[in-house]
Amino acid sequence: MKPQWQFCVNTYEFDSPRESISMRSSLLIFILLCLGSLSLQAQEKFTINGYVKDRANGEDMFGATIQVQGQNLGTTSNMYGFYSLTLPVGNYTIEYRYLGYLTEQREVVLTKNTRLDIELSTEQTELAEIIITAEDEDENVKSTEMSVAKIDIQTIKKLPPFLGETDVIRTIQQLPGVSSVGEGASGFNVRGGGVGQNLVLLDEAPVYNTSHLFGLFSVFNPDAVKDVKLYKGGIPARYGGRIASILDVRMKEGNNKNFTAEGGVGTVFSRFSVEGPIIKDKASFIVAGRRSYADVLAKPFTDVLDDGAALYFYDLTLKANYNIDQKNRVFASGYFGRDVFRFDANQGFNWGNQTATIRWNHLFNDRLFSNFTTYYSDYDYSLRFGDNDLDVFEWKSNIQTFNFKPEFTYFLNTSNELSFGGEVLYYSFDPASARGISNGETTDISVPNKQSMEYALYFSNDQKISSALSMNYGLRFSGFNYFGPGNVYEFGEPEIVGTRKPLIGVTEIDKAESIANYQNLEPRASLTYLLNEQQSIKASYNRTVQYLHLISNTVASNPLDVWTPSTNNIRPQQADQIALGYFRNFGAKKAYETSIETYYRAARNQVDYIDGADILINELLEGDLLSGDGRAYGLELYVRKNTGRLNGWVSYTLARTELKVDGINNGEWYPTRFDQQHNLKVTGLYELNERWSFSANFTYLSGTPTTFPTSRFLFQDYVIPHNYDASRNNIRIPDFHRLDISATLEGKKTKANGEPKLIQSQWIFGIYNVYSRRNPFTIYFSQDTDRLPVGQPANTSATQLAIIGAAFPSITYNFKFLGK
Amino acid sequence: MSLSKRIVLLIVFIGVLACEDQIFPELQNAQPIIVVDAWVTNKNEPQVIKITRTQSYFDSSLPPGVPNATVLVSDNEGNSFEFLPGTKTGEYVWNPAENGGVFGKIGNTYRLYVKAGGQEFESTVAMSRVPQVDSVTYYFEEGSFGFPDSHFSEFWARDFQGSGDTYWARGWKNGQALNKPDEIVIAYDAGFSRGGNVDGIIFIAPIRRGFNPVEQDANDNFLPIFVSGDSLYVELHSISNSAFDFLSQISIQTNRPGGFGELFAQPLANVPTNLRPTAANPNARVVGFFNVAAVSGNGKRLVLD
Repeated sequence: MKPQWQFCVNTYEFDSPRESISMRSSLLIFILLCLGSLSLQAQEKFTINGYVKDRANGEDMFGATIQVQGQNLGTTSNMYGFYSLTLPVGNYTIEYRYLGYLTEQREVVLTKNTRLDIELSTEQTELAEIIITAEDEDENVKSTEMSVAKIDIQTIKKLPPFLGETDVIRTIQQLPGVSSVGEGASGFNVRGGGVGQNLVLLDEAPVYNTSHLFGLFSVFNPDAVKDVKLYKGGIPARYGGRIASILDVRMKEGNNKNFTAEGGVGTVFSRFSVEGPIIKDKASFIVAGRRSYADVLAKPFTDVLDDGAALYFYDLTLKANYNIDQKNRVFASGYFGRDVFRFDANQGFNWGNQTATIRWNHLFNDRLFSNFTTYYSDYDYSLRFGDNDLDVFEWKSNIQTFNFKPEFTYFLNTSNELSFGGEVLYYSFDPASARGISNGETTDISVPNKQSMEYALYFSNDQKISSALSMNYGLRFSGFNYFGPGNVYEFGEPEIVGTRKPLIGVTEIDKAESIANYQNLEPRASLTYLLNEQQSIKASYNRTVQYLHLISNTVASNPLDVWTPSTNNIRPQQADQIALGYFRNFGAKKAYETSIETYYRAARNQVDYIDGADILINELLEGDLLSGDGRAYGLELYVRKNTGRLNGWVSYTLARTELKVDGINNGEWYPTRFDQQHNLKVTGLYELNERWSFSANFTYLSGTPTTFPTSRFLFQDYVIPHNYDASRNNIRIPDFHRLDISATLEGKKTKANGEPKLIQSQWIFGIYNVYSRRNPFTIYFSQDTDRLPVGQPANTSATQLAIIGAAFPSITYNFKFLGK
Repeated sequence: MSLSKRIVLLIVFIGVLACEDQIFPELQNAQPIIVVDAWVTNKNEPQVIKITRTQSYFDSSLPPGVPNATVLVSDNEGNSFEFLPGTKTGEYVWNPAENGGVFGKIGNTYRLYVKAGGQEFESTVAMSRVPQVDSVTYYFEEGSFGFPDSHFSEFWARDFQGSGDTYWARGWKNGQALNKPDEIVIAYDAGFSRGGNVDGIIFIAPIRRGFNPVEQDANDNFLPIFVSGDSLYVELHSISNSAFDFLSQISIQTNRPGGFGELFAQPLANVPTNLRPTAANPNARVVGFFNVAAVSGNGKRLVLD
């Protein structure tokens, strides 16, 4: 129990003096390193810079390699395709490379600053190699990034679909270190982190709920996505706000050469998108929409939908960009998605995300690139029940975020790339605007809104210290302020640990008055030591802090889960992660890419719940929350074959994820619901000929933990399960394994006379869960549902549940209209 | 759309993809512990406190009663009520007919003392107020989508002014107790939960309509809920706030949704108890609950022309 109650909790998260000393010394090292790299050289230098784009459609190319031929000097293009390379006066041959694209070379006589925009085109081989990574040949070995996976949309679209739909989040789940609570569950878990500990960004804006239909599909339309990048560790200083991972989803800019339209009809969704130039080579747009259509098909055959009942979901993705001049470029993007379940015209529920992002790229000079982002993100849901106006229950909830984020990259020289910037976020939480009408009497049952501000400043440097050693180090300073108007609640200690905390006092706080303040330093560092061109050892450390908490006490996260800020009662979550890895490529053109990584993550202030926690529409929610520690450790193996007709990857994770919370499992460590000891995924892609290609993936997962009772007892005729040791997650459900396959048939691309067809088509045939295994999601215990006379005890039994317990075939038809 | 159609839609939705198998896992062995089922009311009938033991989860026999227990209740006015062994082993009875009137007085506190199997436990609760069940009514809804035309029941009562009143509504259809896990109807004031602040009004509709048991015939066809001649009797029991939490956790732990709904189930956990071991045996284990309820009731038979 807190000895003294304060309105204003000012907490600086320096846990011990020793820690603050180490923080200071790391700061000192940072400054020394910066100074070292600034050592002036007499020779005059000039800068080559520009954008790398795809010749076919003008899309920016993120991660293209720009290298000085014959020298170990180079850089990679940033997420906007921009690069900058500063070299002494001289003659150079510059190479631009991107896997799967033809390498371009430019002879440069460098006597002044030079702008060089480059367009790359795909290789025109007979059997086009599948573009699996967007990295250059040994970039995975050489870069300072580790614990990162980048997948472009072509790969995502090649994998066996789930119920006919390709899916970004499902593809992420094929990677090492990524698990989930089970089939059909929303979101994903990274290195022991909860679903709410991933920052999912769509064009910089956070997406608070990544699922349609309770978790079966993700909210990202693959037709509008360019690539996704998952940071599991070594998280750069520019990212913050969640402790486990960053999933950075980038939308396409839109084809700025030609109009194209594409679409498809799948088992669940119909999709359509259009993209094209607004001003050729200068401005373009993309509009992409999806909608489930089962209700449209069902309508003629049933009266269920006649009185306003509905079950559908849709999303719309929009983006436009404009190259104002060589130094300025603006992007505007938006996302609107919604799931709608209506029992009739007046009753039902719906939920969805909306995001809007505006970005401005500005070149201050040849070496200073900047991006200013401002976004709005909203997640909301509403429910309404009551078939007449006398008895109604209405509930709306949302979280809104406004953000401004200036970011700068300074290409200091070929050895140092400095990044710095900051962000300010304003959050508004409306846990419940709700009212109940009972027999005509209305009661307002709303929970007061909450508001808070998060801010951060960061800097980092990507530095090549020697030809073998490079480092990326940085520091993020973040802060959070939870402020009024609102009520401040003070809780005492419960009689029994792990039960509801009693409310001791409530204080009303005025507008803008601070309630709780937190500040943290988040050091980030990663180091790469090249053993040779194809082998490296990497290490990383990062501290991450999370000020928002996803409140969810069900097995899988669900659409009604609420986000809540850190308060005087809920402290920010914090995690430290160290990772060590060995990276090695084999063969020419990076035929095989392999890595082994191990990690250890310790987390503090993890949120858990009392038994029977009342988490929805509860003003006193904070009294129902528990706090504890988390730890996760594991080993991740990854082997990827990039070349040839048969390619794909194998990922294996050996892991353990545990929590320790006073009041749960007798205060002992217990495994989380998504703890999987073994997690094996094999993904294979085979290109038979120009028209047929095949893919398969196999998944093997150790059974996840669940709680079994030992005993039962009777109370007023109810048969109540009881666990003698009061343990949590004491048993593992059986292992999970599943094979999915798909075949893709490309329509003929040319007419009989050899001219290319304007409309290209594609059929995808898939079977999910080929051998119909009833993979358990859970085992639950219940009493029989027969009606029994008083005094006669019910039978009890255990039921194993498979969410998708049979093979599920699907057919998807896709088409693409190529404009001229 | 009618309630019935909503139920059918929900069942269809949940059942679309999922499939379930009964399994027979081996469970850890556990020592039996004492169970106290002490639900005492001011109804004019013998009051029974049952002392049993926990049994293995898959053991569906009647739980073994604990003989030779001492079961004593005392109140803050110095009265004591001795529950004496009844006809069945493990049942301890206090009969109002032999003690000059019904049990309890609203506002008084009661302490239960149990000595069973050589272990001692105690619990203290207050008896709180209960409003009248004003009436039971029926309303008609047309059937659709495989659900027949049917009458549905509704019971009417108004919560007291002042927040923190908690109730358990218990129903009997045609004299048969509605005691399935999905028929646990509890109210925090007039609403579902403490956070709601639904105070002083008529119980909200989902509570009023809590006793409409859906039954199917041998061919899995849905039967009308209430037909002419059927009756419903509803009792309201005043319960302590902790009994509300206890019952709500019984509901969470026993009313398993199955199917897709299991994605959103809460983990299995022990329900709380308000019984504590005495200082004589501070580590003794016990489950169960003690509550002294004031009870009101009302009923009605559906009579159609």
